[in-house]
Amino acid sequence: MSLLTLDSVCKSFGSTRIINDVSLDIEAGEKHAIIGPNGAGKSTLFHLISGRYNVSSGAIGFKGEVIHNLPPYEIARRGLARSFQVTNIFPRMSVFENIRCALLWSEGYRYSFWQLLGRQRKLNEKALDVLEQIGLSDKAQLPSGELAYAQQRALELGIAVASGAELIMLDEPVAGMSNSEAENAVALIRRITEGKTLIMVEHDMNIVFDIADRISVLVYGEIIATDTPQNIRSNARVQEAYLGEVPSDA
Amino acid sequence: MKKQLPVWLGFALALVFLPSIFDSVLGISILNQMTIWIIFALSYNMLLGQGGMLSFGHAVYFGLGGFMSVHALNLIADEVLVFSITLIPLVGGAVGLVAAIFIGSFSTRKSGTVFAMISLGIGELIVASSLIFADFFGGEAGVTGDRTYGPPFFGIEFLQDAEVYYLGAFWLFIATLFMYLFTQTPAGRMANAVRDNPERAEFIGYSTRRVRFISFCAAGLFAGIAGGLFAINYEFITEENLNALTSGRVLLMAYIGGLGFFIGPIVGAVILTLMNSLLSNYSEMWMLYLGIMFLLTVIFLPRGFAGFIMMHQIPWQNRRLGTLILPYSVTTVPALVFLAAFVGLVELSHKGDDILPFFGLSLGAESMLSWGILLALAGIGALGVKLSRPRLAAAWAFANTPTADDRGDVR
Amino acid sequence: MFEVFVFATLNGLVTGLLLFMLASGLTLIFSMMGVLNFAHASFYMLGAYFAYTLSAYLGFWGGLLFAPLIVGCIGAAVERYGLRRVHQSGHVAELVFTFGLAFLIEEAVQFFWGRDTKNYQSPELFDFALFTLFGQEFSAYRGFMIAIACLIFGALYFVLTRSRVGIIIQASISHPQTVANLGHNVPLIFMCVFGVGTALAGVAGVIAGPVLTTFPGMAAVLGSIVFVVVVIGGLGSLPGALIASLLVGLLQSYAIAADVGMPELLHLLGLSFDSSHPLNDLWTLNLPQIAPVLPYLLLVLVLIFKPTGLMGNREQ
Repeated sequence: MSLLTLDSVCKSFGSTRIINDVSLDIEAGEKHAIIGPNGAGKSTLFHLISGRYNVSSGAIGFKGEVIHNLPPYEIARRGLARSFQVTNIFPRMSVFENIRCALLWSEGYRYSFWQLLGRQRKLNEKALDVLEQIGLSDKAQLPSGELAYAQQRALELGIAVASGAELIMLDEPVAGMSNSEAENAVALIRRITEGKTLIMVEHDMNIVFDIADRISVLVYGEIIATDTPQNIRSNARVQEAYLGEVPSDA
Repeated sequence: MKKQLPVWLGFALALVFLPSIFDSVLGISILNQMTIWIIFALSYNMLLGQGGMLSFGHAVYFGLGGFMSVHALNLIADEVLVFSITLIPLVGGAVGLVAAIFIGSFSTRKSGTVFAMISLGIGELIVASSLIFADFFGGEAGVTGDRTYGPPFFGIEFLQDAEVYYLGAFWLFIATLFMYLFTQTPAGRMANAVRDNPERAEFIGYSTRRVRFISFCAAGLFAGIAGGLFAINYEFITEENLNALTSGRVLLMAYIGGLGFFIGPIVGAVILTLMNSLLSNYSEMWMLYLGIMFLLTVIFLPRGFAGFIMMHQIPWQNRRLGTLILPYSVTTVPALVFLAAFVGLVELSHKGDDILPFFGLSLGAESMLSWGILLALAGIGALGVKLSRPRLAAAWAFANTPTADDRGDVR
Repeated sequence: MFEVFVFATLNGLVTGLLLFMLASGLTLIFSMMGVLNFAHASFYMLGAYFAYTLSAYLGFWGGLLFAPLIVGCIGAAVERYGLRRVHQSGHVAELVFTFGLAFLIEEAVQFFWGRDTKNYQSPELFDFALFTLFGQEFSAYRGFMIAIACLIFGALYFVLTRSRVGIIIQASISHPQTVANLGHNVPLIFMCVFGVGTALAGVAGVIAGPVLTTFPGMAAVLGSIVFVVVVIGGLGSLPGALIASLLVGLLQSYAIAADVGMPELLHLLGLSFDSSHPLNDLWTLNLPQIAPVLPYLLLVLVLIFKPTGLMGNREQ
C-alpha cells in the first residue's frame, strides 16, 4: 500500500483551476521530486497535501487514512511534516527553542502547562541531537531571526524533520543558496531523510537527478509524467513543456 | 532554573523588607497598590507579550473576580461562608477563570484585530450589563464589603494596611512564580511560537486556537486573583474596575514596562502606580504628563523601560558600560532642565493668581519675566539635548563594538 | 405609533449619518495605512472645540470652514512626527500610540478649554422647523446635518474612484513600494490621507457639537461606537461603513423609542416573575435600557459569524 495517495485531486480558486485532476502514489521510503515550470501549482499541491488548503474535489490519503480537508495540525500529528519555500521559523525564539517546539507533540507533551521544559532531559537531548545534525549546535541560544539565510534554511529543515515524521515534504529547500551552501544542504537532506519518505519541490535539475528515485512533472496543474529520472529526461512531453516545441531533428 | 534561585530569593526578601523602608501610610498604600497591579499587568502580558493577543477588555476578568470577591467578603461577614479572607484571591481567580473559559471559547477563534475588537465589544457589553444588573453589580454605587469580619488568620484580623500588604505580597510572590513557570511549560512555549508564527505552529502539530485558549484562560485566572486582592484592599468595587479605561491602564503598564520581557509589566506597573499616587499629590495636570510620557515612550522606547535596560546588555558584555556614563549625564542634564521648564510652563498656565514655587524662584502668571525665564530654560534645555546627541550616538556605537580580546569570536 | 416610527427613523438617520462622517475618515485611514486610529473621535472633539472658539470671532460658518482645516493640520503633524516613527514597531505599537494620543488629547482639551461644557450653538439660520409632522418639529439643523453627510459621502466616493488622486491612493494601500517606484511620494500621500481623515472627523465635530454637547467626554462617548461601526461594516469598506452606521443609528433609535421589553415578552410566553426573584433585573429589562449595548452585541455577533464584517474584504 502506498504511503501517500492523491486521487483525482482538483483545486480551484474562484473560477480559476489551479490543480487539475492530479493522481499520484508515493511509496514508503521513496524519494520523489516534483518539478515543473513556475506557476504550475507545485506549492499549491504541497498546501493541499499538508492541509493548508482544502481540496475542491478528489481525495488524499496518508497511511490508509483520509487526510484531505483536515486542519494542518491533524495532518502533522499523523507523521507528515513540511518545510516552506519562504522561511517560516519562530524568529523571536532561540534556535534551540525552535527545534524543541517542533519536538513537543511527537514527544507526547500536548498542551501541558504543568511540566517544566527545563527538566525534560530526554526532550532536551533530542533537541540538541537535531541541532547537531543540522549543524547549528553553536548557534543554539541565538534568536533564530538573527541567523544568516542559509542557516535559517537549515533550521527550517530541522523543524520539519525534528518530529520524526515519516513523510517529509520540502518546498525548494535550497532556493536562494550559493552553490557551496546548496551542496551542504543537499548532503544534510540526504542524511536526515535516510529511511524516510521524501517529496521535494525543486528547480535545480542536478539536485533532482541526484536525490530522486522518481520524478513527477507538474504543468498547469496537471501531472504530465511520473517516472524515473532517466525516463523523464527523455520524455518528449516534458521537453516540450520546458523548452516549447521539441526540435524535429532531436 | 537553579541559576534563578537567587533571583527569586531576592524577590522574596525585597517583598518582606520593603514595608520597613517605605513605612509611611502613603508608602504602604502604594506598595499595596503595586501588589495588585503587578499581578494584573503580568496576567495581561500572558496575552499580549507572550501570546501576541491584543485585548482591550482584560479588566473584565479583574472586575468580575473583584465583584465576586467583595460579595464573598460580605458572605463571610454574614457567616454564610466560613473561610479566611486570605483565600479570597482564589475566589477571584476562580471567577476570572470561569469567565475566561466562557468568553475564550468563542473569542479565541480569531486573532489580531478581530480578536482585539471582540474583546472591546465584550468589555463594553459587560460594563453595560453591570449597570443593568444592579443586584450583583450594585449599580453606579458599586459594592462594598468589610475584610475585618472574617475568621482571624493566626490572630490577624487585617485591620492594618501593613497586614494587608503581607497578604498581598504573598499572593504576588505565588502568582508571579506560577506565571513565570507557565512560560517554561509546553503550553507557555507554544504560546510564544503561536505569537511568532501561528501558521508554522499548526504545521508542527498544534492547534493555534487551543494554545491561545489556554493562555487566555490562564490570563483570566490571574487577573481574577488581582481582582480578589483589590477587593480585600479597597473593600469596594464599581463598574469602573471592569471598564475600558481599566483595561487601557493595564495595557499601558505592560507596554511601558516592555512587552517582550517577563519583568516588563512589573516595571511598568511600578512606574505607573508611582506616577499615579505621587504625581497626583503634586499637580492637577499629572494626567497630562502621563499622556505625554506615554506617547514619548511609545515613540522612543518601543521596547519599554525593561527593553531600555536590556539594550545595555551588549555594552555590558563588552565591558564598555562605563563609557556611557559621561555621555548620558551630558545629555540628561539639559533634558532635565527642559523637563523642569516644560512642567513649569504647564503649571504656570493653570496657576491663575497663585504663585508657582520653582527651584527657589517665585513665578507668577502675570509676570512676563516668569514666562521669559521658563521659555529661556526650555530653549536652553532643548538646545543642550540637540547638541549632545552626536556625542551620545558616537559613544553608543563605541560601547556596542566588541572589544579587542573578543574579536576572535566576532562573526 | 406611526409618528414615533417616523421620528425614530429620522433621528436614527441623523445619528447614523453622523457616525458615518466619523467612520468614513477612520475607514479611509485604515484602508490606506492599516492603522486603526483610536484617537479618531478625539479629532472629532477637537473639531467641535476649535469651531466653538472660532465661531466666537468668525461665526458658525467661519468655524465650519477653518476648524476642520486646523484639525487636519494637527492630524498631518501627528502622522509625520509620531505615527510614522511608530509604524516600524508594528501594528500593536501603532494602536497603542493612537490610544495614548486619544488620552493625551482629552487631557489637553481640558487643559486649554477647561472641564466645563461649552455653549456651542448652532447658527440661527437653522433655528426653524424644517417640517412638522404629527405635531412634532424636525429642526432644520438636523436636515442640514443630513445634507452635509450626504455631500461628504458623494465627494469621497467621487474622489476615490474617479479621480487620479484617488487611484493613486488606492494603489498605495496594497502596493506602496510600487507606487513609490512610479515616482509618487508615498509618505506624503499617507500624511495627506491622515490629515484628510482627521479633518473629516473635525467636520463631524463642528456639525455635531451643538447637538451632542461640547464637553471633554464627547470623544469617549462616540469613540468606541465608531469603532464598532467600522468593524461591523467591514474594515476598509466605505459602503460597509455607511450601511453599518445607518444600521447602528437606526437600531439604537428604534430601541430607545420602542418602549417594550422583557415584561412584554414574558407576558407573551405566559410567564411572570415576582420582583424578589434573583434575576429580577433581567425580567424587568426593556429595550431603551439595552439600547446603548446593542451596537456591541451586534459587533460580537458579526465578529463571530462573519469576522470580515458585513462588506469587508481585507484579510487581516
